Amino acid sequence: MTETVIQTRDLTKEFIRDEFHVVALKDANLEVRKGEFVALMGPSGSGKSTLLHLIAAMDRPTDGEILVLGENLRSLSDRAIARWRNEHIGFVFQSFNLIPVLTAIENVELPLKLTALKKKERMEHAATALKLVGLGDRLGHLPRQLSGGQEQRVAIARAIVTDPDLILADEPTGNLDAQSAQEILTLLGRLNKEFGKTILLVTHDPHAARFASRIRHLEKGELLPEGQVPADYTVAPM
Amino acid sequence: MFRYVPLMLKNALRNRRRSTLTILSIAASLCLLGVMFALYRGLFLAPPKPGQELRLVARHKVSMTQPLPVSYEARIRQLPGVREAMVWQWFGGVYKDARDRRNFFARFCIEPDKLFRVRPELEMPDEQKRAFERLRTGAVASSDLAERMGWKIGERIFLTGDIYPVNPELTLVGIFKDPNTNETLFFSYFYLRELLGAGPRGDMVGTFQIQAENAEAVPRLAKAIDTMFENSTAPTKTETEQAFALQFVSFLGNIKLYLMIICAAVTFTILLVSANTMAMSVRERVREIGILKTLGYTPGAILFMILGEAGVIALMGGALGLLLASGMTAALRQGPTFVGAMRTLSITPDVGALSLALAFLIGVGSSLIPAWNAARTSILEALRDSG
Repeated sequence: MTETVIQTRDLTKEFIRDEFHVVALKDANLEVRKGEFVALMGPSGSGKSTLLHLIAAMDRPTDGEILVLGENLRSLSDRAIARWRNEHIGFVFQSFNLIPVLTAIENVELPLKLTALKKKERMEHAATALKLVGLGDRLGHLPRQLSGGQEQRVAIARAIVTDPDLILADEPTGNLDAQSAQEILTLLGRLNKEFGKTILLVTHDPHAARFASRIRHLEKGELLPEGQVPADYTVAPM
Repeated sequence: MFRYVPLMLKNALRNRRRSTLTILSIAASLCLLGVMFALYRGLFLAPPKPGQELRLVARHKVSMTQPLPVSYEARIRQLPGVREAMVWQWFGGVYKDARDRRNFFARFCIEPDKLFRVRPELEMPDEQKRAFERLRTGAVASSDLAERMGWKIGERIFLTGDIYPVNPELTLVGIFKDPNTNETLFFSYFYLRELLGAGPRGDMVGTFQIQAENAEAVPRLAKAIDTMFENSTAPTKTETEQAFALQFVSFLGNIKLYLMIICAAVTFTILLVSANTMAMSVRERVREIGILKTLGYTPGAILFMILGEAGVIALMGGALGLLLASGMTAALRQGPTFVGAMRTLSITPDVGALSLALAFLIGVGSSLIPAWNAARTSILEALRDSG
């Protein structure tokens, strides 16, 4: 039986914004197995990023259960969650989020600074990750010296350098041109197929979602049942 | 924690213009603070200068401007624990042109045969000592003074009296080395008495200098001398030479208080400068802090990095400030002054360490609130920040 990486049961997130009670996510039930590449789709405000943040333990749910890699995240302290995130999660953002004063290799080294690895080992690991994403010749470049696509590849290298069990990507192609977006999605697909990485991709782009092996749709804070799409959902031709 | 240091350094210098201005601001403040600390140390905390440990000064209890009978000297010398005692009389007067500050130097009337026993730290060849004892109009000058004035042995020195209505005509018979680099001219008290002629003024002197036999005798002697003259018409106040010298500083007012107020103002200025910089720097990087947290950095690590960054900037400013302060103290040492501490004013290792430690603490303290807030910011809140 395939190991379950993510399991949520009746996961709910509510908050108060400007005196209004907002239900960002309601009774979401999601199961992702090891080695899957799942896309979470939905329009803006549908709750897909909220679900991703809850899975990454960047936020705490109002109600429901969440098990990620067998860990009940609600029971962990902030410090334990930070360590858990460093060891098990790789995160790719829409806006790359590299540290501008650090070179590509130094950016990739950042998560490794929290491990027991020595400086030389950290640099070797970071260089390997950068070579894997095709940036072996850009180790000493600062983010401003790289194109958008290259920056996102550095971000992916940073996400995989600790060899995480789960990669969470939040609109990773949102700020890229079509060519670069294609390269990034291909890279994520490769990480899934060749390295067996479990990937959860949040996107509102149907084209990007096609790289996933499974797509789940969200609408107004509700995770629709497997195979169900919103009424107004149309798939653009490839 | 040391693995965060490279990131700390890069962040400290990421906005070069702002960091440079902050470092320069801190340097200017630290320069002033360093000089103030050095001055405070020189005046109030410095160990006794060579020769001062065993020396006492006896003056009139009311004020040093009130004279004491010269006859006290013989009675003081009889006290157990006194190695030597002599008259120590400020002559004042004018050398050449009083309007030219270069002509200002200390002039004292002393007893030539006792000078080098009361002040053993002074070094002069024996034949010059003998010449000084022999020649009533003889004078001896410190090598620093002789060098500055261009005097040689045999130089004729004419003084015009102001406190005393006499004009000594002196001949330089000796040049002594003073480890305290004082610029002093000594001539015979007996010559002054001779010039003054018969009358009560010649029998009165300003102070006596006493050389004790050992350190234990110093406090005992001070008490014994004052007790001896307690019920006389001219009671004394006897204290160490170091304490006596500080009275001149007190003429300027409550120097301790002034120095402390200036130091507090400077410290507060650094605090504001550093706090402003760190608040700006942290505000610009809230999003990056969110990223670091996403990568697994704990609030403690974030706090450490931001505090360290402020500490690095403050230390850079502090080090530069101390260099400037060293230059300033060197310049002050060369200037004219009547305060002995100014001639040896310098940034000693303890003053340097204290200044740097204070700069570091101020830097860290000033960034505590922005660093704490940043460390406590939730990831989502931080990532939503557009910088």
